[in-house]
Amino acid sequence: MKFSVTKEKLLEALQQVQNVVSTRTTLPILSNVLLQANETELYLTTTDLDVGVRGTCEAHVDKAGATTLPARRVFNIIRELPSSEIQIDVDGKNAASIRSGQSFFKILGLPEDEFPPLPKFEGAKVVTMRQKDLRDGLRKTSYAISTDETRYVLNGVLFSFKDNKLTLVATDGRRLAMAEIELEFPRSHESDLIVPTKAVTELQRLLIDDGDVKVSMSNGQIAFDLNKTLLVSKLIEGNYPNYRQVIPGEAKERVKLEREMFLNSLRRVSLLASDKSHSVKLNFSKNNLDITANTPEVGEAKESLAVPYKGREFSIAFNPEFLMAPLRALAEDEVFLDLIDEMSPGVLKIQTPFLYVLMPMRISS
Amino acid sequence: MWRFCNTVNNFRMDKKCTQLWQRLSAALRPQISTDSFKRWFSTVELVEAKEKSLTLTVPNNIYQLWIESNYMPALQNAIIATLGSPRSVKFCSPSAARAQTFAEDSASVTEPLPSPQVDARPGATVPGLNPRNTFESFVVGPNNEIAHAASLAVAQAPARTYNPLFIYGGVGLGKTHLMQAIGQFVWAKKKNMKVIYVSSELFINEFIDAIQHSNLVKFRKRYRQADLLLIDDIQFLGGKERSQEEFFHTFNTLFDGHKQIVLSSDRPASEIANLEHRLVSRFEWGLTAELQPPDIETRLAILRKKANTMQIKLHEDVFQFLASRIRTNVRRLEGALMRVASFASLSGRELTKETVEHLLKDILQEEGRQSITIEQIQRRVAEHFDVRLADMTSKRRPASIAFPRQVAMYLARELTKASLNEIGDAFGGRDHGTVLHACKLVKKRMSEQDNIRQTISYIDSSLQR
Repeated sequence: MKFSVTKEKLLEALQQVQNVVSTRTTLPILSNVLLQANETELYLTTTDLDVGVRGTCEAHVDKAGATTLPARRVFNIIRELPSSEIQIDVDGKNAASIRSGQSFFKILGLPEDEFPPLPKFEGAKVVTMRQKDLRDGLRKTSYAISTDETRYVLNGVLFSFKDNKLTLVATDGRRLAMAEIELEFPRSHESDLIVPTKAVTELQRLLIDDGDVKVSMSNGQIAFDLNKTLLVSKLIEGNYPNYRQVIPGEAKERVKLEREMFLNSLRRVSLLASDKSHSVKLNFSKNNLDITANTPEVGEAKESLAVPYKGREFSIAFNPEFLMAPLRALAEDEVFLDLIDEMSPGVLKIQTPFLYVLMPMRISS
Repeated sequence: MWRFCNTVNNFRMDKKCTQLWQRLSAALRPQISTDSFKRWFSTVELVEAKEKSLTLTVPNNIYQLWIESNYMPALQNAIIATLGSPRSVKFCSPSAARAQTFAEDSASVTEPLPSPQVDARPGATVPGLNPRNTFESFVVGPNNEIAHAASLAVAQAPARTYNPLFIYGGVGLGKTHLMQAIGQFVWAKKKNMKVIYVSSELFINEFIDAIQHSNLVKFRKRYRQADLLLIDDIQFLGGKERSQEEFFHTFNTLFDGHKQIVLSSDRPASEIANLEHRLVSRFEWGLTAELQPPDIETRLAILRKKANTMQIKLHEDVFQFLASRIRTNVRRLEGALMRVASFASLSGRELTKETVEHLLKDILQEEGRQSITIEQIQRRVAEHFDVRLADMTSKRRPASIAFPRQVAMYLARELTKASLNEIGDAFGGRDHGTVLHACKLVKKRMSEQDNIRQTISYIDSSLQR
């Protein structure tokens, strides 16, 4: 195999795939990147057996072929190369010679056939959506994914295809984020899938503003085809909890909040919410919201916001991190906070189909 | 987490469990909201009660998840209250796929929360408001009675009486003082009122900034959520079309929301150049109050009050002198007082009329130029004695004309800085000796005849107003 390629393009392709490579792995081949060259293009593939990514890179191919090379090492070398033009020549023993300007490197690789192939998606159910929609949906939900490994069904985002809608849900038991994307697909494609955290994270990095993404679903596997890049992931097996049960009934009070202002105030006040009593209190009174935090023997913080609020006076406490996470992820100027009472969950909404349920913390006065 | 358990198939709800669950529910209910209890616990059943553990059946895994994550402390509290000691709690699904798990012994989620907060900003005030500008420190006179009364009414009941309130008047007559007094009054009464005080220049700058960084929404929110909007020197909005438009909408939003708006300007709304008509008409919608230069009594009162607050003691003559010579501008009056007072305390010397005059010569010069001209005197005197203005400069000298002319010359000598020659010139090219003679004569007649002294002091004070 022999090809030449520009440094920028190769680096970009490597950056797309190299995150999947795990540093500590029992199988040495998994720390390698699979390089496959056909007439005009070079394919780069990495996998950790759960998630696999394949990127494409334009190249001038002199001799087609395939090999695997240690991903991290190759990436570090390419990044440091002095010249833009790179020639890579791989001999029959998978030893790659990398030439660029005055530099020369020889890297020993492993044969291509040891590399686990990415699963095939023949006859899979396919749904196409805009990349931007999916990226936004994931951004609005992924922060709520549980990190508790004992609750493995929650270690991912639920993709629920139903009623011409894709509903994305993430929860960790104390909060729940849900976003919906309008889509058209046949009834037969309706299904509930749980996409693991790592795939979601990688997907968010890969998705861009323009273009479509083709989602293929088959038994226990999902593939996201982003035209030049492909991400394949195993699904989490199990039943995702019935998230609709969590969404509270009709709200008693609705408060319209200026997202950024609210977020900034929370951030400031939360400076005085200690690790132990990690809560900030929202005190509502007519047209006013006081945000307070207090740590015994440290001090207290308070900030007032003018809000259009006409309801009864009451206070509710939340974990500030949990309250700020959706505010950071959203881009809207205005958010609505729906509340029932101090012990019932609060619901954060925006104009588009999205909601975030957050359990209050108990106020022991 | 959803481990299968095979041991639960033969669970029977026995009476003991039902009763225990009822007691647990009763202890649990007050700790969580009715809605939450109904949602999460109404379908839960207690199926097994052992020495150290309780097993609950839940309809599906979301119940277990949510109860474990959120209601474990409450449930443990209820268990302790009912059974006297904690138990571990297991969950089971009633369906074929029965799940069971152990809840870790409730690492408490809840922590004591802050006790009721005290107001953390006792000394704080609305940004931009000078705490000294209050209604108490405002000296009311006939010149500003209406403006003061209207402001007080607005402050006591915002958006009820006069909305918008438009205060106008020349520089240093107390527009800003009144506006800030309204702001402080309202804010002091209700701390959660959102009071915004800005100069129109700041308003415009913030608007431009908002356009630049395209965060207009934030800008709009800031102003449109105000309960009381005070905009000073609104005349600077003239000619700034987009700012006017923005302000127009802000104005409408606030007005429709029954929020008080107070504006100040150095001239009536209709005279502000390049101000859109719809804004002019809106400014004139509520109450328009004019501030006029204070009369001499008010000026004296202002000086005394100011001297009192600054704790300076001056001779009554000094007050009189300052009040009579500085007529147009309260700010300047206070500045003069300050200057005189600091000179007195620094030098420790007795203040004479001459030293004061020397100290304030620039101010007095400015005042003289601004206020009274010989022509004004002539006009006023002619009017008073009912002679033609032309007679002031004419060569005719019957007593009915000559005496008023002499009075005018005397007043010109007293009230202006003009030299005898200049005065003579202004009176039809008369000799300086003529003017000197007129002054002496008038002084003499004033000391002899009460009615003449009264007449002249009347003209004098009417000129000084």
